[in-house]
Amino acid sequence: MFNFFLLILIYSGIYALMALGQNIITGYGGMLSLTQAGFFAIGSYATAILTTRFGWSFWGTLPVAFLLSALFGLLIGLPTLRLKGDYLAIATLGFGEIVRNVLNNWDSLTNGPMGIQKIPMPILFGYTINPYKKYAFLIMIFIFVLIAYLLFQRLARSRMGRALTAVREDEIAAQAMGINITKYKVYAFILGASVAGIAGSLQATFTLSVTPGTYTFMVSVMVLCMVVLGGMGNFKASILGAFIIQLISYFPQLTGLSGSIPAQFQQILFGLILVVMMIWRPQGILGRETRRYGGAAGNGKGGAQ
Amino acid sequence: MLFTPVFSCYRTVQFSYEGESIVGIAEFFQHLMNGLTLGGIYALIALGYTMVYGILKFINFAHGDVLMVGAYVGLFLFDLFRGSSPLGLWTIIAFFIAMIISMAFSALLGMFIERVAYKPLRKATRLAPLLSAIGVSFILSNSAAWMFGTHSRKFNYPFDNTPLHLGDVVITPHQVLILVVSLAMMIILKLFIDRTRMGKAMRATSLDQGTAMLMGINVNRIISLTFAIGSALAAVGGILIALDFKVYATMGTMTGLKAFVAAVVGGIGNISGAMFGGILLGLLETFGVAIFGIPTGLKDTIAFGVLIIILLVKPEGLFGKVEKEKV
Amino acid sequence: MKKSLFVLLAILAVLSFPAFAQGGGESASPKIGFMGPMSGDYANYGVLSNNSAMLAVEQFNAKGGFGGKLPVVLVTEDSEGRVEKGLSSIEKLSSSDKIVGLIGPVLTGTSFAVGERVQNEGIVMISPSATHADITNIGDYVFRTVVSDGLQGEVAGHYFYDKLGYRTIGVLYAKNDYSQGLYEGMSAAFEAAGGKVTIAEAFNVGDKDFKTQLTRIRSANPQAIYIPNYTAEMAQILEQASQLGMKIPFLSCDGFSNPDIYKLAGEFTNGVIYVGPAKVKESPAFSTFVSQYTAKYGVGPDSFATNAYDGTNILLAAMDKVYKASGKFDRKAIRDAVAATKDYPGVSGIVNFAENGDLVAYQGLYKVNKTTPEYLGTFTVVDGKLVQID
Repeated sequence: MFNFFLLILIYSGIYALMALGQNIITGYGGMLSLTQAGFFAIGSYATAILTTRFGWSFWGTLPVAFLLSALFGLLIGLPTLRLKGDYLAIATLGFGEIVRNVLNNWDSLTNGPMGIQKIPMPILFGYTINPYKKYAFLIMIFIFVLIAYLLFQRLARSRMGRALTAVREDEIAAQAMGINITKYKVYAFILGASVAGIAGSLQATFTLSVTPGTYTFMVSVMVLCMVVLGGMGNFKASILGAFIIQLISYFPQLTGLSGSIPAQFQQILFGLILVVMMIWRPQGILGRETRRYGGAAGNGKGGAQ
Repeated sequence: MLFTPVFSCYRTVQFSYEGESIVGIAEFFQHLMNGLTLGGIYALIALGYTMVYGILKFINFAHGDVLMVGAYVGLFLFDLFRGSSPLGLWTIIAFFIAMIISMAFSALLGMFIERVAYKPLRKATRLAPLLSAIGVSFILSNSAAWMFGTHSRKFNYPFDNTPLHLGDVVITPHQVLILVVSLAMMIILKLFIDRTRMGKAMRATSLDQGTAMLMGINVNRIISLTFAIGSALAAVGGILIALDFKVYATMGTMTGLKAFVAAVVGGIGNISGAMFGGILLGLLETFGVAIFGIPTGLKDTIAFGVLIIILLVKPEGLFGKVEKEKV
Repeated sequence: MKKSLFVLLAILAVLSFPAFAQGGGESASPKIGFMGPMSGDYANYGVLSNNSAMLAVEQFNAKGGFGGKLPVVLVTEDSEGRVEKGLSSIEKLSSSDKIVGLIGPVLTGTSFAVGERVQNEGIVMISPSATHADITNIGDYVFRTVVSDGLQGEVAGHYFYDKLGYRTIGVLYAKNDYSQGLYEGMSAAFEAAGGKVTIAEAFNVGDKDFKTQLTRIRSANPQAIYIPNYTAEMAQILEQASQLGMKIPFLSCDGFSNPDIYKLAGEFTNGVIYVGPAKVKESPAFSTFVSQYTAKYGVGPDSFATNAYDGTNILLAAMDKVYKASGKFDRKAIRDAVAATKDYPGVSGIVNFAENGDLVAYQGLYKVNKTTPEYLGTFTVVDGKLVQID
């Protein structure tokens, strides 16, 4: 039971990283992107392939996962800036599907639908971080989430955060104020993509096996749900959203109810909770983080619409 | 039948590329036929999608699941009405009665979903109803799996579906039906929206809900009506698709997603755009891999890749209006 | 805002209370787990096999359970066919339910991840359907009551070449582990024998329109088409092939032994030759199982469900043996008892496990006449040669 709770925390941590990335793209940049699953997959496969084929250590693959997904973030971010709203959503959704489709078909590199197994556990200073034991792994994940959170939080309060907020609220006005829209939007995309890549890398080393079936479109949707449910434009809320969605998803298993109620019921329950939560708090649980500029940074006064 | 001699005499002619044969003429036309009819299926769903989308501007994720419910209702009613009678006039009548009841049922379901899950969110951020729709989609598809089981069910053809041979090219009556119905639906919808009072009210609502209300339009009723029509269309699509693809709880998910992509590429809220986008996606999926000898597993990559490029060239979709942005 | 968050947490806490309470009073009944996709695209395969496990447990308990007094409890968890969810399911089964044995997972992808985990925990696992050749090499706790892709593909390849006399074959397979594994197994054996796979077309999970692929295969004009897929897709392929006017013979795999195929594809199944489980001569066990299963669940069992029934019974028999000897359910002892299973008369045939946990079994060949499968014989491959058993 307690072990299971740790597992939920680990999954929450991995998804929280993706949600933080989604938040900078959607919550701050105001761009509806549905492609976190794609970057997640790229990170996972980078780690899986490099460790199993080329004998790299997990730590060596992390920067590769980071850079590779950042590169794809740039590639997809640059041209799609021409697109707005749902057109952007479709283009990014298409990219995510392409990644999964390629991974599933590129047998010589990714082993196709069989996936890659026997990914080695990460070793730090001679100590194996064993995912079965959970504690060490949980600490590792939380360090990653903390670093990402602090970095993003600083970023949001920097020139870039303000610029993105301005772009989201009114692109033309922002441009008139001399803000380079393209630059900041691409930055947001790259940042969002690269943390998702890191999340993918961590996921691969936790599950110790990867299959293309994991990285479906639903992963992107869930990540978006986490951001919206927590409250857009609020990094704390993204982490909270990730935790709540994972808790709801695994709640039946956590409490042992899953053994006694049909699987479909659990999914129906999940859907119901989603609808009820949205109607109950459409602006998300914490709401947007509002801040007075010039003075001390005010804390979340969520609820105000 | 008219084309038969043409096809047969070109049978041996090959399209060649650097001396290597790529695809024969007959195969080419067969692919064209396959692509068109697959596209017809996407178009059929995309039409319903674009209706709702045009008015409310949110991705109704549950559309594919309403389609699935419509297919189940149609299946049960058709089997009930048909009994064990052989193919004939009665099966066709039974099929139509089943379809009409299913359309009515789906329309009510659509209105109910809108009332419960989307209406309270009309003033919220654009993403809130999206999430709510995802929740509804979970509820519908899993309820169906729980109630009707997880296996696929066969929806028997109400008519004789023996394929027609045009030389080496084969087409089934069902494929023709799909194309005809989606074309007819497109025309009726276009006439309805462009020419009727109700359609005018819909267009007004789509442009600006507040102003529409001031003009004396009952916006709530119009939105309800939109959902009713969209869901009834979904039921038609679901039943027609089920004839070929069978009925199962997740039948709406992937096809629905692709139809939605088609609707967006055609231009959001544009009826002919949805039709065209659907056909285009069908052709892309078929020809993308058929002509160039690309492994067929990669057909989604080709299709989505080309769609992304199209969007980059025409960011408002193929038939979308360019909207001037104002400060 | 703070208040609503508090309310939310309070609700969650209240909801989880009964579960906490329940954790304390543990009964002495041993638990076994079943894991498979119970929702999502693959749900049908999980549900059908789970039915078998439930049926076996029910029958076992009706007979009095262990030592005539202790019933066994079956806990079913949904894997959704995803590695992530599979790991959470095994976590729950192992740490919350403390299961002593696992039936499943159904899909190969999850089986790899879960297999590593049960090996680590020392829980015996019997998969009814994970066919990938490497699954049982994970370790000594992993067994299966299904033949590996390797064996089924080998028998198929040799039979197509030797007995049916085909020299060129086209393949239409799905990009999932099961289908691709069979395709690779068959084509390796077929090409080693001297034949040639002239065209191999793939489709993605969830696709329902195969006309593009079929049209390409039609143009390549092989002597036969091998379609190693799940039931619903095969029905679809057969129907669309007939719509395209294809007269090429179809060859298939154990997915064809699900009676649903005849409901979905009707007469299009006529003439299909497929490799399936070997038939047990003069044993009413199989037909009894099918009728009991169908009466209870309204649908017929597929070959995986048949395997799951055997797997569950083997596990229960092993547990019974351990319980009689020691009075408790030691995981290691149960594993040894499962490994020691010898000539178990299952409904799918005589079950024996190889050293590595693989099922030692023969393969049956069937030919469908209209909508009735007719048995062609029992085969296996010894030293690269096809051998007919009877």
